[in-house]
Parts: sequence; structure tokens; C-alpha cells
Amino acid sequence: MNARLASASAATAYQRQWFADLRKEAAQGGDLALVNADAPQEIFRTMGIPYVVNQWWSSIVTAKRRAQDYLGLLAERGYPDDSEQYSSIPLASAFDPDPADAPWGGLPRPTIVLAETTGDVSRKIFDIWDTQPGVSFYPLESAAENDVPTRWWELMPRDWEQAVGSDRLDLMTGELEGLIRFLEQTTGRVFSETRFAEVMDLVNEQQEWNRRTRDLIARARPCPLPVNDSIPSVMIPQWHRGTVWARDAARAFHDEVAERVSAGTAVCPGERARLMWIGRGLWFDLDFYRRFEESHGAVFVWSMYLAIAADGYLRYGGDPLRALAARFAAFSDQLYTPPWSAEWYVKEARHHGVDGVVHLVSEDARGSYFTTRALEAAGIPVLELHADNVDARSADGDALTRTVGDWLERRVHAGD
Amino acid sequence: MSAALAQLTSHGTDRRTAADDWRARHHGAVIGYVGADVPVEYITAAGLLPLRLSGSPGTPSTAGDRYLGTGLDPVARSVLTRLLDHDFGPLDGIVVSRDCEASLRLFYALRELRRVDLASALPPVHLVDVLHLPHRTTTRYVRAKLRQLRATVETWAGRSIDDAALADAIAVHERLRDLLTRVAALRRLRPARLTGAQALSVVAATTALPADRATALLEELLTEADLLPEHEGHRVFVTGSPHDTAHVYTALEDAGLLVVGEDHDWGDLLSLRRTAAPTEDALAERYQYNGPTAPRASIRDRAEHTRRAAQDCGAEALVCYARVHDDAPRWDYPAQRAATGLPSVLLSRQPYGALDDEAVQALTGLRPHAAVAR
Ligand code: SF4
Ligand code: SF4
Repeated sequence: MNARLASASAATAYQRQWFADLRKEAAQGGDLALVNADAPQEIFRTMGIPYVVNQWWSSIVTAKRRAQDYLGLLAERGYPDDSEQYSSIPLASAFDPDPADAPWGGLPRPTIVLAETTGDVSRKIFDIWDTQPGVSFYPLESAAENDVPTRWWELMPRDWEQAVGSDRLDLMTGELEGLIRFLEQTTGRVFSETRFAEVMDLVNEQQEWNRRTRDLIARARPCPLPVNDSIPSVMIPQWHRGTVWARDAARAFHDEVAERVSAGTAVCPGERARLMWIGRGLWFDLDFYRRFEESHGAVFVWSMYLAIAADGYLRYGGDPLRALAARFAAFSDQLYTPPWSAEWYVKEARHHGVDGVVHLVSEDARGSYFTTRALEAAGIPVLELHADNVDARSADGDALTRTVGDWLERRVHAGD
Repeated sequence: MSAALAQLTSHGTDRRTAADDWRARHHGAVIGYVGADVPVEYITAAGLLPLRLSGSPGTPSTAGDRYLGTGLDPVARSVLTRLLDHDFGPLDGIVVSRDCEASLRLFYALRELRRVDLASALPPVHLVDVLHLPHRTTTRYVRAKLRQLRATVETWAGRSIDDAALADAIAVHERLRDLLTRVAALRRLRPARLTGAQALSVVAATTALPADRATALLEELLTEADLLPEHEGHRVFVTGSPHDTAHVYTALEDAGLLVVGEDHDWGDLLSLRRTAAPTEDALAERYQYNGPTAPRASIRDRAEHTRRAAQDCGAEALVCYARVHDDAPRWDYPAQRAATGLPSVLLSRQPYGALDDEAVQALTGLRPHAAVAR
């Protein structure tokens, strides 16, 4: 079962065309924003300010094998080349001596860069952007809560005030008001409340489609598509959320999955074990996910991309700007901060009826210990892979395959 | 050596002694805290003893590594390990600030360990989310977070903190900051009357002792200043990671340098920012504008601060010490080097509480040929 999803091909083609158009517009001196993945992109969408997502551009540079060159450009200027590379690689575009040779024709120079002050380093990267001619950095606070209700996925769609907390929302709404005024002044564009309401509705509709798709896959037996095939179908529309195209792309993806389910399509007809993959993707070895189908009847049915689209974005009711604040104020907590992260992975594991979890733990192990513990406490076997073992340079593919195979035999099939 | 200096350096190092004493003699409660963004004034005002938690460089941090992963600043991993080992004696509460990412992760780990009941006898934990962007919206948020902390401390103390008690506590801690500023001047004299390692221990002592006791000892030290021995060395300003122990300063000074100033908050930065009025609103602004620290300030603000502070100290060179997994300093360094215009060196990915061989080597390039060891 290897045919590529039509929705994935359509999304990729759309992305190419969109970027070409964006380059043309920027070449004529238009405004361009570079924003972090978890920033409130809906404001730019509403005002019609084109934007590029920092981490998306990073993934393009990496996929074209230019990451090391770009990191070298940072090192030449005395900056670290081993610190938050995923966020810092696009900065090197500003220093590229040969931009014409860059992937996809190169990232046009942004006029506005936007990031939250998360971590210790992310704002520094944008501080450097800010020193480039013609670039302004608008920093947003990143706040944290002392005490949170555990089952955030039940509260977020409508009771987001309770889930996120009023102090944080007061702060973030104030921040967004400031951002809008800043954009009005620097770009001369207007922020229409009517348009904003449309954008917010479109985003909710898009994520409702993702939610239906996630639920379909959770219930389907056997699993209708390989886990990494869904990533472009979910993520490219995510960068375009708030457009009619993105909403319709999410629906097209859903319909394609529904068709496969009703046709009884199987990734692995001999499906005996359903697995969940927690952590970033093994980009250097995508075949890895399919290596245990034949040998063990084990199929990966879950990755975070579709699941967080299904649960992480929906925000209904209340003041739309406050609802938007509620979408991004605690976004990464949903994935990385216990108790939210740990309990959510357990909920998703149960929802998908998984028999085991492979958990890729990076050195920067945000909440990983507690995620593994919560899953094991719920009776779900977990295999932790540590990033230093699976790094592209040090990866001994055979050892990794053996480790997972042994674990499947010992812990997953043993419980059949 | 001056008696006051001996007592201060001893409390700066054996950080638990004052707390044990406080518990034994006053049956008083002790609140552990993480980060200079914790408004200790509330803890003092409630009649409790604030004890700033520090790590222990020589000791393995096995438990901390397990819960936090090995990719985080080793200080946070060490503090967590010590908490789980009850190394600080019994604590009645823990307040954690967002002074850096590692502290926030430490808070999440403590909160989760309590929730899932993994670690026995962890005291209640509170996050005080003091933020630093220079905006009115941030001030309002910080005020709300201070009110929240006040309520928590009141619960722990079993009594309310009235405005008069808060004003008194603010006054005591301001007095402490004034005295620390005067003590810091002793290390900038030529010749210096305090080494950098001594100065660091003195600052550390004031975050382990009750504020009034710390104040009394600093006053005594100042009266004895003329009797202190003189110190020579190549005068350097230390930027980069904070130092919760004097190990690295000792190593630097053993190499013939004299640390005359720094811009981290276990040192000079702790007492820099003052409180404009004895009120909760002024306190919120004091903590919002606290800094500029490496993990929270912009590159521009850091560079400007480092330039001014290094100049005020009469520093002849700049040393940037960046601990492993503490990444902000390395991003600050190019602008700091340019702004100060001093001979400088970047010591990257240093082990906790030590200098690696490469760093020791790099430092020899800083010291002019004629420099004499102390
Ligand atoms: S179980 Fe193996 S052989 Fe059968 S369809 Fe799947 S991958 Fe192919
Ligand atoms: S030094 Fe402070 S804590 Fe110790 S006995 Fe005196 S007043 Fe109490």
C-alpha cells in the first residue's frame, strides 16, 4: 500500500506555487513577515500580510542539505552553530553570500519578524534579525501557569479561559492588541474585525476536519495509511490556516482517508500490533516506520502532527482576539509540559487502541520521563529511544531495527 | 581575616547552616527558592526564611538527570537532585521563578513529581512567573503573579501579610542591596580588598541568612574594610552563566586573574535594581525590570550593560563563561565583545563548577606576560 495520497501531492504543489508568488510580491518591495511556528499567524492572515513560518523554512533548507552551510555562516559571525538550529538556520539566509543558489530560489528578506520569548535563546536569534537593515522584531511574552486543569483537550475548544487561565489571557490579549497597532503603523494595512471573524471560523472548520480524520484513523482496523504519509496533508494546510484553500485541503484529506477506510485499505493487512510514535520524526530514515510491518505485523498508527491539529487549535466563543490568545498562549504546553503532555499521550494511546509506544527522547527531554511513566502506568508498553542512538550520523540502522524488533517480541506480542 | 568576612563566606558555602539554626532556635519555617526573580520580600514579610537553592558541582545528579534529561543546565539537575535527597533540610515550601528555561523545567518536574506521587515528602511548590518585556501589559501580569505568590506565602505561613509588614520587608531588602553595592566596591579598589571568589560568597551568604542578620554582617564587614588583606591580579569582568558556587572564580583567580565584577545574578546583578517605593506595585516593577540577565534580556541590553559595568569596574579583560547547556551567553558574546572593546575570551560548554583544559589554555592568552599571581 504505497500510493501517495493525492491530498499530499496537492498540498506540496500548492506550497511551491505559493512560495513563488510570495517571492514575486516581495521582490516588488511588499511587506513580508517571518514568524515562529507557534506565533499568532491569524493576525497576519487577517491583515493580508504574507508570512513565512521560520521552522518550515528551516525544514526546507535541511531537506536540501544546506543546513551545515547555513550554520557555518552563523559560526563565521561568532554565533553558536549547535544551539536551537531549527530556529536559527533561517537567520543564516540573511547572511547568504549567494542567495540565488538557495533552496526554492531563497527566502526573501523579511520586513517584520515575530517570535515569542520562549526558552533562553529564541529571542536572541530574533534580536540578530532585528539588527539587519529593514527588519523589525516584535517580541511576544511567553507566560507559564502555576496550576492547570489536567484534561485540557476537553476544555480548550470552549472553556479555554479555564484551561489557560485569565492572567495569561489578559497578558496575551494585550500583547496582540499591541501587535495589531504595530502592524497597522508599519504596514499601513487595516485589521478588520469582520475579516478576523472569518479567519477564526475557517481555522476552526479546518481543525474540525482534522479532528474527524484523526478519529477515523483511531477507529479504523486495519490502519488505512502509513503514519508519515499524513504529515504534508496536515502540516502544509496548517501553515495556511485561515484560508479557504487550507480548510478545503483538510477536508480533501479527510475524504481520502474515509474512502480508504470504507474500501478496507490496509497499510499492513497482517496488522497485529498498533504502535504510536512520540517525538520528532526520523527524517533521515522514513522507511523505519514501515520496517516492522512484514516482520512483526506492527504498524505505526499515530504521530503528533495530526493529533495536535485535531486537539490543539479549536477555540470557540468569547472575544475572538482573546480566543486567538488562548490558541497560542499555551500551545507548546499541550505537547511538552506535564501534566498536560503526559495525560494527553495516554488519552491518545487509548483512543487509537495502541499496543505499544516508541518514544524518541531527545537530549532536550521536555517532560519525556513523565510521558513514559504515565503510559506505562496506564499499562501501555513504551520503548524509549534516545536521540544520541538514533542521530543520523551515529545511527546504526540495524541496531535500531533489532532493538525495536526485540521489544515488539518481548513486550508487545507477549501481551497478545 | 575579618570575623564578619569569615562568617559570611562560611554561610555562602555551607548554605544550610543558617536555615538549620533558624529552625532550631525559632521553630521558623524555611522556604527554598530558585532564581533571583523570586520576590523574597513576601517570604521575609511573612516571618519565614527564604533560602536560595544552589547546586553541588561535585556530586552526581542522577535523579535530576532522570527527571529532567541530560540536555538541561546542570545546575537545575543538581538542585532537583538535592531537593529529592533532602539536602537542604526540611523545607516548608518551594518558590520557583522563570529566570531561565531550566528553572521552569525544574518547576514542572517538581509539580509533576508531587502530582503523581513519585517523590516522598516534597513540600508544596509555587511558580512565580515574573516576565521582563518592557511593556505595561507585562507590569500588570507581574503584579497579578505577585499577588498570587502573596496568597500562597500567606497560606504557608498561616498568617496574612499586611501592607506595613510588606513595606518593612521591602526596606530591609533594599538596605541589603545598598550594603552589597558598597561591599562590591571593595573588590574594585586598587589594590582590591576582596577577591572575586570572596565577593561571590558574600553575596551568596545574603541569600541564605535571615535578611537582618545578613545586613548586620555586611555592616560589620564594611567597618573592617581597612584591615582586609590586599589582592592583586589581572582584572577581569565575568559575563555568561551564573555561578551558584565559587569554584570557577577560585579557578580563575588561581590562574592569576582577579574577578572585579560580573553581570550574573549570583553576583553584582543581584543588588543592581532597586525598588522605587515600599509598595506592591513598585515591587512588581522592580522584578519586571530586574536584570538584564543572559537568558531573559535582549542582546542589545546585555551588551550595553556589560560595557558599562566592565568599565565601571576598571576591568582589563572580559571572560565569557558559558556552562554546558546554558546557551544564551554564547549568543550574547559577539555583541558584548564588540561593545566592551576589551581583550576577551569565550569559554564554551564548560562543565558545571569547573574550567576544562581548553579553557585554562585560552585564559593564558588573556594575561599579559608581566602579570603576577597573587
Ligand atoms: S504485511 Fe508486509 S507483505 Fe503484507 S502488505 Fe504489509 S508490508 Fe506488504
Ligand atoms: S542568626 Fe538569625 S536565625 Fe540565627 S539565631 Fe540569630 S536571629 Fe535566629
